Amino acid sequence: MGAERAPRPLRGRLRIEPLAEGDLDRIHEASLRVLESAGLRISSRRILDALAESGAQVEAESQRVRFPRRMVEEAIARAPSRYALAARDPTWDVPIGAGEGYLSLDGCAAEIADLESGARRPPTTADLVAATRLADAVEEVAILWPCVAVTDVPPWAQAVRQTQVQLANSTKHLQAMSTFTARDARAVIEMARVVAGGSRPLRDRPIVSSFQCSISPLVYEGDAMEAALEFALAGVPCGFVAMALATATAPTTLAGHLVTVNAELLGGVAVLETLVPGAPTFIGPYQAFMDLGTGGIDLAWGPEEVLFKLAAAQLARRYALPMNILAFATGSKTQDWQAGAQHAISLMGVAAACEADLISATGTLYGSRVFALENVLLDAELFDLVRRLLDGWGTGEDDLALEVIEAVGPGGHFLGQAHTRTHMRELWMPRFFDRRPWEEWETAGRPGPRDAARDRVREILAEHEPDPLPEDAERELARIVESHEGETKGAAHGG
Amino acid sequence: MVDEEIADLAQALLALDEQRAVAVARALIDGGADPQAVLQRGLADTMLEVGRRWNAGELFLPEVVAAAEIFRLCNEIVEPALIAAGGRTLGHRVVMATVKGDLHDLGKNMVGAMMKTAGFEVHDLGKDVPAERIVEAVRELEPSIVGLSSLLTTTVPEQRAVLAALEEAGLRRSVKVMVGGAPVTEEWARQIGADGFAPNAPEAVRAALALVGDERLAGA
Repeated sequence: MGAERAPRPLRGRLRIEPLAEGDLDRIHEASLRVLESAGLRISSRRILDALAESGAQVEAESQRVRFPRRMVEEAIARAPSRYALAARDPTWDVPIGAGEGYLSLDGCAAEIADLESGARRPPTTADLVAATRLADAVEEVAILWPCVAVTDVPPWAQAVRQTQVQLANSTKHLQAMSTFTARDARAVIEMARVVAGGSRPLRDRPIVSSFQCSISPLVYEGDAMEAALEFALAGVPCGFVAMALATATAPTTLAGHLVTVNAELLGGVAVLETLVPGAPTFIGPYQAFMDLGTGGIDLAWGPEEVLFKLAAAQLARRYALPMNILAFATGSKTQDWQAGAQHAISLMGVAAACEADLISATGTLYGSRVFALENVLLDAELFDLVRRLLDGWGTGEDDLALEVIEAVGPGGHFLGQAHTRTHMRELWMPRFFDRRPWEEWETAGRPGPRDAARDRVREILAEHEPDPLPEDAERELARIVESHEGETKGAAHGG
Repeated sequence: MVDEEIADLAQALLALDEQRAVAVARALIDGGADPQAVLQRGLADTMLEVGRRWNAGELFLPEVVAAAEIFRLCNEIVEPALIAAGGRTLGHRVVMATVKGDLHDLGKNMVGAMMKTAGFEVHDLGKDVPAERIVEAVRELEPSIVGLSSLLTTTVPEQRAVLAALEEAGLRRSVKVMVGGAPVTEEWARQIGADGFAPNAPEAVRAALALVGDERLAGA
């Protein structure tokens, strides 16, 4: 069964570019100017000292660092455009910079919508096991994120426990995106080395990667940046993601929003490539808008979201930096019209933005706060639809079907033609879109795609057994977790 | 030997190999094989298998249509021998037609193809068929079911006219009437006093099986 499964990335072109060359220049220049004038705040003495030594202008007291233009431009040039995010099972290796887009799970949802009741509740380790096994089975999902924050372990133990669970329950690449401290990063790296077979094998085939988030506007936590450095030194790819909230933590205009986000991401890349030249990295210019009434995140993503990602993708292409792009975001509380429309429009935006390497993130509702297993399958269906759309079509002799058209002639039909039978299975087939006649749907109790997805989730969880880790590796991971928890607990209690 | 050839015919039909199926059917009949066995075991049982595979999602409608066409070609070879030998009938007989004024027969053909996969003996009167011809066919062929199709809203009323003509000829009680076509609804079927309605070809087969009281319906 495992042999038949294969990755299904987005490939092909449908490029829409809202920014003209001159617009791109202006946004680039403005971003460099921000890094030179306002700079970033990074709360790590160690990193500020190292940056000062490399020619950045550092104000120790305010933890400000201002980047000379040349430093940023050199950093961009040093970042590799192509590398691989490897997987325990090489079938699932993700090539970065190959013009293909791979889908990941979403990350750290604070709640899960229960598969049986649909009600939300705090997630547990068992939920993360189920979600990871599901993602292992679904071909459209290529990259794991710790998709729920497991609440049955203390917060300071979560990042490492989640890594243990995901390494054990899938052979796909793990992006340990909730690893925010150097101590956690060291434990994650140690576990990854166990699974990969050592330090060198992990460097050659990083089965784990990570990213750190800026705190908009223009701040990086010292811990987060130190974690990034740990990863980079171990040869583990580490990207930077900005999740600025326009109107609150970024300007309201799209261009201003993009300038601050871009400055934050280029600043992250500048730190990493200055201190660890050539470290594999990527940028994730996410977009969110404030709800003008409540001050919370606007749960009705719309046209600005699509415009923003199209423009951000243009910038990433200009820099030849690998890119993570946000595809799935909805304010809906269930798998309904709003969720379907928002996901589909957003995903078409990704298809038109073209050639993003990493596409996040499947499985959530309600502003990414609630994870739902059935969403992984429904999102995968949309992803597969867009994958087919980007495949395009042929216009060869057989595609044009002249002979068949002539054979059938006026008034006939094509149902009985061998040409029809040869090609009909190339047509895209939905798994969850309902296509039953009304009567049949009525008789079945008016089920929706969500019901079908839920049934399929149950089937997959009952059937799919991910390749387990060797027993000694499992023991070793348990030992690392225990030692990390001993250390961290001590630190958490003022040790 | 004959058994092997009948199996060969079944295999050719299942593989949608028209040339081979026709050649084997011809060889069987020319060689004096029992036409009843050829029809039942070579063709009709295979159409049931086609139906089973369609039901399981292994085959699509264009494949069923292709199988029905091969079935028709082979049946043209087998039928004269069958009639000469005095044998007949596969199962329940169905007379089908697209009603007068309507030239759209694709839907009716699909239903006919699917009916064959359920073992019905299908007599297709074609398209633009006047009520009198349908009445005539019912008198002559004594079918269990008459299927009426219309695609146009303007020809749908003709279905009611056919029912009236059957009534007038005193044949209405002897046959079940099913109606279908894109604009036809269950409500319309009730209104004109039809016995059955289906929104698509597979549902038409289920409805037909129900009308003739076939126990296969339980599994459908």
